[in-house]
Amino acid sequence: MLAEIAIIVVRGCAIGSIFALIAMSFNIVHGATGILNFAQGNMFVLGGFAAVFLANEVGVAWWILMLLVAGVLVAVIVTLQGWITLAPLRSSVEQDSWLISTVAVSTIIAAALMIWQGPFAYTVQGVVPSFRVFGVRTPGAYALAIGAMVFWYFALRIFLRRTFLGLAISALSQDFDAARAAGLPVRRLQLVAFAISGLMVGTAGYLVAPVISVASDAGLRYVLNGFVAAVVGGIGSNLGTLIGGPLVGIVGMLTAYRIGGAYQDLASLLLLVAILMLRPQGLFGRTSARRV
Amino acid sequence: MAMSDTMTASAERAPANRVSAGGAPTERTTAKPRFSSDLPQVWIGIFLIAVTGFGPSLVGNSYWVHTFQLVNIYIAASVFQNFLFVDAGQKSFGQGVLLGLGAYVTAIFFGLHGYPFMLAAAIGMGAAVAGGLLFAFPALRVQYFHLGFVTLSAAIVFPQLLMSLDRWTNGINGISVSMPELHHEWFLGLSPLTIIIAVWPMIALWIHYAIRRSKLGRDMRVAAISPEAARSLGIKPGVMRFIAFIIAAIGTGVCGVLYLPAVSFVSPQGFNVELSFVFFFAVVVGGRGQMLGPIIGIWIVFILPNIALAQLVEYRLLIYGLLTLAAVMLFPDGIVGSIERWRVKRGVTGRGEQAFRVDRFLDTLEGGKDSQPSQEIVVEVRGGTKKFGEVVAVDNVDLKVRKGEVHGLIGANGSGKTSLLNVLSGLSRLNAGSFAIKGRNATRMAADRIADLGIGRTFQTPRIFREFSLWDNLRIGIDARTGVGSADIGKLADALEAEFAEDSAELLSHGQRRLVEVMRAVLKEAEIIFFDEPAAGLSQSERANFARLVKFLSRRMGKTIILVEHDLDLVWDIADTITVMEQGRVVASGSPEQMAKDPAVQHMFVGGRRA
Repeated sequence: MLAEIAIIVVRGCAIGSIFALIAMSFNIVHGATGILNFAQGNMFVLGGFAAVFLANEVGVAWWILMLLVAGVLVAVIVTLQGWITLAPLRSSVEQDSWLISTVAVSTIIAAALMIWQGPFAYTVQGVVPSFRVFGVRTPGAYALAIGAMVFWYFALRIFLRRTFLGLAISALSQDFDAARAAGLPVRRLQLVAFAISGLMVGTAGYLVAPVISVASDAGLRYVLNGFVAAVVGGIGSNLGTLIGGPLVGIVGMLTAYRIGGAYQDLASLLLLVAILMLRPQGLFGRTSARRV
Repeated sequence: MAMSDTMTASAERAPANRVSAGGAPTERTTAKPRFSSDLPQVWIGIFLIAVTGFGPSLVGNSYWVHTFQLVNIYIAASVFQNFLFVDAGQKSFGQGVLLGLGAYVTAIFFGLHGYPFMLAAAIGMGAAVAGGLLFAFPALRVQYFHLGFVTLSAAIVFPQLLMSLDRWTNGINGISVSMPELHHEWFLGLSPLTIIIAVWPMIALWIHYAIRRSKLGRDMRVAAISPEAARSLGIKPGVMRFIAFIIAAIGTGVCGVLYLPAVSFVSPQGFNVELSFVFFFAVVVGGRGQMLGPIIGIWIVFILPNIALAQLVEYRLLIYGLLTLAAVMLFPDGIVGSIERWRVKRGVTGRGEQAFRVDRFLDTLEGGKDSQPSQEIVVEVRGGTKKFGEVVAVDNVDLKVRKGEVHGLIGANGSGKTSLLNVLSGLSRLNAGSFAIKGRNATRMAADRIADLGIGRTFQTPRIFREFSLWDNLRIGIDARTGVGSADIGKLADALEAEFAEDSAELLSHGQRRLVEVMRAVLKEAEIIFFDEPAAGLSQSERANFARLVKFLSRRMGKTIILVEHDLDLVWDIADTITVMEQGRVVASGSPEQMAKDPAVQHMFVGGRRA
């Protein structure tokens, strides 16, 4: 019984850390652009594919090097996507084309992976050895996931509050027009935000590849759970994702153990609907999601 | 005070379309091109559906009969997606779920449990509506990308559930049904099913068109484009979204019920995310908001990869995605929308000053008599305080506005004038204190209820909807009216409709846009009108005209007016009472003469010009 609770909590928190990471990567782009990237889950999966092809059964040094390569690769792809997404917004009067274009890119990536790699789920051999929690063998990647979440939380906190570039991006999320009027290169800062979000999910996907199913169609699941984590925490609040992510992870794990693995996404959907109905601004939301 | 003498100096400069004394416009010599091509598009659409729906049966090609049955069901589903997307402004990625619910639940009860088809179909419809409620309830509270994620999750979860609830759904094996009586030839090679399936998308198009032409449809579009304008017109945006999701769920549910006899088989793979994406992408590629959009969209998105280029069927998702991305990047209006834009561009010519003038129309208002402000208080604020975080925008304000007066609210930027106006119109709430409108405590009332008390307002940026004709832009004021309209306003409305029904509002100048908003409030028969910096951006002559219009509203029509304005000359010219605000507090209040002498106000004028 205790072991079961331990498994649910540890694995839930670890999987939840992934959702928290995706949620944080949402936040930085959303703050800088008002865009929520529906393709973020596919970008995460691309990180996983990077691990499959660049770092399966390799030594530690090579693994670390490839971690950086995976992060940069995905960052470049996301930046390119950001450029495509932002391009029509420059002239268009209606501002919701991003929703369509990010969904389209998400579909394109999933379809391209499907054509290239087929509908199979790949597994990767991790370099970090497994460890025991309450006597239960736990893959090392789980620890990496939690570590990555904590690392990125503090890294973003320092970046956004202490560095000039980070402060400029924060300024965008405060007041867009004022930032532009103050002479900030808005478009370039937005692309930097996209790049950082790509770096985050690219490395995250790479790190946790041993414990997720690296498959062409997995992206949507991650983008959704990441979004639920962001909503639970309050969109825009990285602190909130530290609660929201693990919460979504634990709810999913609990559902898997008690009802069945097939119902995990249903649990996330119901959690999302419940949060939107009861507390749309989330736990730490700065602004209400309610825009009526 | 006749408006045509006073409103514009240029009234004599022979307007292109003279209005006779009775207020009815004279016959025009040249007909304007129609503003909206919705109706012709509906007819073309019905024609195209008829050709593809009946044609294959008439020539006896059963492959195409079957193919276009599916295509036409998808077109009907896309029509409702189009309605939801544009008229209600809701991006749903889960319409395939509603179609799937209709089809699958009908199949379960009809195919597995042997219920009569009509009863099974009714249960299937119920399931589709229940699914719609899952989208509709969150829509009451939130919108935009939040609902995008809710609907997308539903699209992901639905096929998973079909698989895992195999005790009821037969799991991966799916359910086969046989309904030979529907497939039997009736006449001319047409089976009952062929006829029903061809007629349904036609009906769907008509439903979309009819809703768009109705008050409900206009309310929805206003709510989708400008929620705050909607609320100031007494519309509840959340309720509009809710209704839209339910309408779309019913329409899509019918598509699901028809899917079953058309395909004779349902399985989880048939209702995965891809199906929802097809409807969404078809609307984007075909042309968002265009009546023909879903037809052209489905033809391209669905027929092209699945049938015309069948050897590329593995690439279809890639093709959907690329087509949609290309559409957003290169022709954001979609295919039909781009053609429509070209048509409109050709037809639209700016009418300059003549594009929108109302003086002649206002002259027809007979009820006008000289009215003076009474002593009755219609708006009263007691100790009103509004904070934004640490900032106290409105600080313990007391304010009384008499019925029929023009009440000017002045003060430097950031002194709390607009914040106060937003509180009074219900767009934000007081942290402390209270206010009453026409003797009713309105402190905690929502904006739409305050609007229904007889308040009208204008915004700093006029809320003009380019999707609407000029007349529809005015008409939403009539839509927002609570009681039975007066005969005078009815006549005024008729005259405005005759003049502006086919005009575009897109090319109006800023001053004209302001005027449209004012006329909207007049048509709403608002007793109290709030103006938020109405003179900003107006030219000198437009300001003079505006001042006359406000006097007309107050003295001839007996309206109470609260005016937030920086142009002090204008305020002193037209206000009966002036209230001066500074850093959220009221520092002085009284008649223009008193205020001009008040030391608290003097410093606002350079060199004491007013003193």
